[in-house]
Amino acid sequence: MAKHLKTTPPSGKKRARLPLVLFVLAAVLLLTSALGSAQAALTYFSEEYDAAIALPDIGITLVENGTGVSTRDYTGSDDVWTTTHGELLANMLAEGESLELGHTYDEVLAVTNSGNIDEYVRVKVYRYWTDADGQKLTNLDPALIDLHWVNTDGAWVEDVSARTSERSIFYYTSVLGVDETTVPLTDTLTVSEALARKVTRTFEKTAEGTVVTTTYDYDGVKFVIEAEADAVQTHNAEDAITSAWGVTASIGSDGSLSLG
Amino acid sequence: MRLPFERGRAQVGLTVGAAAVAVALVAGAAVPAASAYFTTYVDAQGGYTLELKEVTTIPDEDFDREYWTKHVTIKNTGEATCFVRVRAFAGSQYALTYSGDGWSEAGDGWYYYADPVAPGVSTGTLDIVIKAASEETDTSADFNVSVVYETVPVTGASTALEADWDAPLDSGSDVYINEEA
Repeated sequence: MAKHLKTTPPSGKKRARLPLVLFVLAAVLLLTSALGSAQAALTYFSEEYDAAIALPDIGITLVENGTGVSTRDYTGSDDVWTTTHGELLANMLAEGESLELGHTYDEVLAVTNSGNIDEYVRVKVYRYWTDADGQKLTNLDPALIDLHWVNTDGAWVEDVSARTSERSIFYYTSVLGVDETTVPLTDTLTVSEALARKVTRTFEKTAEGTVVTTTYDYDGVKFVIEAEADAVQTHNAEDAITSAWGVTASIGSDGSLSLG
Repeated sequence: MRLPFERGRAQVGLTVGAAAVAVALVAGAAVPAASAYFTTYVDAQGGYTLELKEVTTIPDEDFDREYWTKHVTIKNTGEATCFVRVRAFAGSQYALTYSGDGWSEAGDGWYYYADPVAPGVSTGTLDIVIKAASEETDTSADFNVSVVYETVPVTGASTALEADWDAPLDSGSDVYINEEA
């Protein structure tokens, strides 16, 4: 045992160096560690800064006759959106002008990408009638409100399975780039003159002659157009469209969208 | 008493557990971001109320026996503008000749007053001259010439000739628009 102790313990000089070595080692480790932290912190803030300026801000604007009507653009943080909400057909008639049945009015509807990422868009259009109190009139055919679809042979495709007498849903088949506007979905609006044929006439003999009075049965009804434009990201688009819009869409290698 | 070895295993286990919790938290925080998509929507609506005012018309006929001529005008006493057309019927022993400013024939037996007739305004006069069809006609006998006119609202057409006269009225007999004068 004594022999063992004599050979294994370090010399006094070595014992004196050991704490120094350990101190140096600890200092190196501490410095290295601190440097690593500093680097990590720097990297972290750098990434955060990069992410802030590149954050995808999706946005969409409904356009009528070349003018934006309603907009909803993400501002990039805190679920804050820039929105405007306008009215369709507001400028269809001049001051003092009355709606003329059978007359064809300009009604060019399109969509602009007002965000900063590419997107796919669709438009849902509703047409219906209401009475003076705003109650929907289901006995009047929405087809009497003739919104003329255009560019439906390729640029826009309708989800026919979702069509009702009131509603039509069209999907834009191309990626809509930032600041780009779709080709028009509609170009004109005509309220059928057939409404004026639904009349009641009375005849009254007077000294002046026979007075014929024609009363229109649909006097006072209101036609309404509603349009909703939806946008979804192009990244992982098929899943995004299914999740957001509840439909199955296929994205081609060229980015083209097709339903089903 | 726990051996140092045992205490080390416990520390390692604690460390691994803490790491697992951290990973789970990080992963959990990432899941919502991964399953959410960038979407937005916007909408607008608009419409107009139809103001289909009454159309009231009064025919005015005057028969000039000296010239065997009927003078016909139609007055719109309603609130809405309309188009007017007129035709007359007589026995085969009489021939009818039409004339009048603003009136024109369309080849269907009707004479159309081209301009829209605004509320409170009358058409120009349509003169219908009645002549014996032949020398054998007994002009001293009674005869009857009936004038029929129709009106339609101004809906999209710019002249009466372009108006939709042939479309059937769809509310039954009460909307039949012929009126014998």
